[in-house]
Amino acid sequence: MRYALPVYTTQAETFPSAAILHPRADSNTTLRFNMSFTVEQRGNLNALNYCLFFKNAAGKYISPFHDIPMYADESQNIFHVVIEVPRWTNAKMEITTKDALNPVKQDVKKGKLRYVANVFPHKGYIWNYGAIPQTWEDPSHKDANTGFYGDNDPIDVCEIGTKVCSCGEVIKVKVLGILAMIDEGETDWKVIVINVEDPEANDLNNISDVRRLKPGYLEATVDWFRMYKVPDGKPENQFAFNDEFKDKDFAIEIIKSTHTFWKDLISQKVNAGELNCKNTCISASDSPYYCSADEAKAVVAKTSPPGKEEAIPSSVDKWFYFERK
Amino acid sequence: MMSPLLLRTPLLLLRSPLGCLATVFGSFSASRNKLVTQAAAVPSPVYSRKTMHYQTEERGHPHCPDYRIYFKTTDGKYISPFHDIALKAETEQDNDVPAKKSKKNESEVLFNMVVEVPRWTNAKMEIATKEPLNPIKQDVKKGKLRYVANIFPHKGYIWNYGALPQTWEDPNHTDGETKCCGDNDPIDVCEIGTQVCFPGQVIQVKVLGILAMIDEGEMDWKVIAINAKDPDAKNLNSIEDVRKSRPGHLEATVDWFRKYKVPDGKPENQFGFKGQFKDKDFAVEIIMSTHEHWRALVQKQTPSGGIECKNISCRESPFKCSTDEAREVVESAPAYDGTHPVSPHVDTKWHFV
Repeated sequence: MRYALPVYTTQAETFPSAAILHPRADSNTTLRFNMSFTVEQRGNLNALNYCLFFKNAAGKYISPFHDIPMYADESQNIFHVVIEVPRWTNAKMEITTKDALNPVKQDVKKGKLRYVANVFPHKGYIWNYGAIPQTWEDPSHKDANTGFYGDNDPIDVCEIGTKVCSCGEVIKVKVLGILAMIDEGETDWKVIVINVEDPEANDLNNISDVRRLKPGYLEATVDWFRMYKVPDGKPENQFAFNDEFKDKDFAIEIIKSTHTFWKDLISQKVNAGELNCKNTCISASDSPYYCSADEAKAVVAKTSPPGKEEAIPSSVDKWFYFERK
Repeated sequence: MMSPLLLRTPLLLLRSPLGCLATVFGSFSASRNKLVTQAAAVPSPVYSRKTMHYQTEERGHPHCPDYRIYFKTTDGKYISPFHDIALKAETEQDNDVPAKKSKKNESEVLFNMVVEVPRWTNAKMEIATKEPLNPIKQDVKKGKLRYVANIFPHKGYIWNYGALPQTWEDPNHTDGETKCCGDNDPIDVCEIGTQVCFPGQVIQVKVLGILAMIDEGEMDWKVIAINAKDPDAKNLNSIEDVRKSRPGHLEATVDWFRKYKVPDGKPENQFGFKGQFKDKDFAVEIIMSTHEHWRALVQKQTPSGGIECKNISCRESPFKCSTDEAREVVESAPAYDGTHPVSPHVDTKWHFV
């Protein structure tokens, strides 16, 4: 018997918003973009071979890390976010920064698919979780705020709206604030955002609005990040600024700085290390990593054809309890 | 007699991406059957315990108002989960083993629990007390299928939720402490084990304590229990054990019940005993008194007030019917059809109350 909860990933889902044009990824352009992106599933959900590749409205494969513009509307400070983990789920899905075209895949640790633990009272992730494209927390840069180097990933986002997004969904958000987490000794900023289409979006303009309209949510967010690796035997995480959230303006400055790091990365001004910077939309003059649409197709063709989802182990249902000091 | 509808292919238990148990079948026809896995034989030094096995049979369309889950025994007899499943998970005599009088240790008593709502889901599934054979169905309010709100920080129900069979909170009976009358339903159970169960699953549970909730002015006890198969079950013998091993869960339970109807415009609920959990012995007393109220109900010593008491096994019950009559009830239900799945209209809003 299936009493189905919403299944959030299918093949080639189209996400709303009418396509107008696909611009070059040039942050000096103040175009208002109304873009649509689709995902193409390869492999089997909850299996090691699962990946989601991204395509633009023209059907060309793109990288969600490099080819989706950071800004949806620069004049309004509206950003794009690539959703990796839908709220209330456990599978640790992420943009694979080291794979060609950076598909979203489930993280693997010690050869096993990774599922985040349920730390009471939380069930899975407590927001839609994802990343802002065209950002990068540079591991060779020691952050002045935290004293730690970047975690080598795009900047992370917690989206607090009502809708449970789908894995791979690209949404437009307003920035509200930011938390300075230090995860296993690396700087790991968490931007708090709201989907522009959320019914409460107009009332949420800064971190103080979140405190007022969603009491307890920010505290729960700190608690979640503090505790989420403890079931795996890791220590509690720490935060800068006395565990406090900084406001919208501060957050936007941090995001912009990670965008600058990314620009240096994609133009090869800094060493990419193991990161894969292949992209199909940044012109060859701006990025030596530009790859053709055909080469991109070949990358996708090497992966397993799409198939049926597999079972999630029931051990993922365990609820871990800790006393809080 | 093996019904042609009885499942023959092996079951594969799967979970959907959002973490609920689902089952995949081979072919099936008018109804869909599921073998409800039961507690395996629980060994003991004195005797081996065998438990009844029940199957469920789905009817109608999932996520639609006509959806029903009927119950039957493994030999195909339709039963009522309200009246025909024993309250206590009794031992069954193995024919080869001479009957032994067991030393009944109250702390080893297990109760059967009919799971209605899996942990972390929202659909308000319940035993239909006013329909013959009392299938599980989704509650309807104001003409719409009912989904419980998500009350921050909780997601759906925070335990497997269900009922103890052969119990009834009599609306003609006033509770001494709270001065409230019963809510006309079997007694409710919050099962705190790790496994996420499925609607219609029948499990054996250890009772640990009880909460005296007053829901919209009616007495609505909430038994706290753990699945006997849970790895922690042997370590949990009292409500105090729950407090130590699951810090926060009892407080969250009170919080959940206090607030869960506020998004529907109802006031916060109240509690007897100042919201304190009473211990196991008290819980068992309450359960046994609701068992006696149930017995009076099925023996027609109490007005049934709309409750459907049809059953196939209750002694001295004027409502007892034949297995053929029971089959007619189920066969008159619409055929199961899961071919065009309807998306449930679950409200994903997180309410800050």
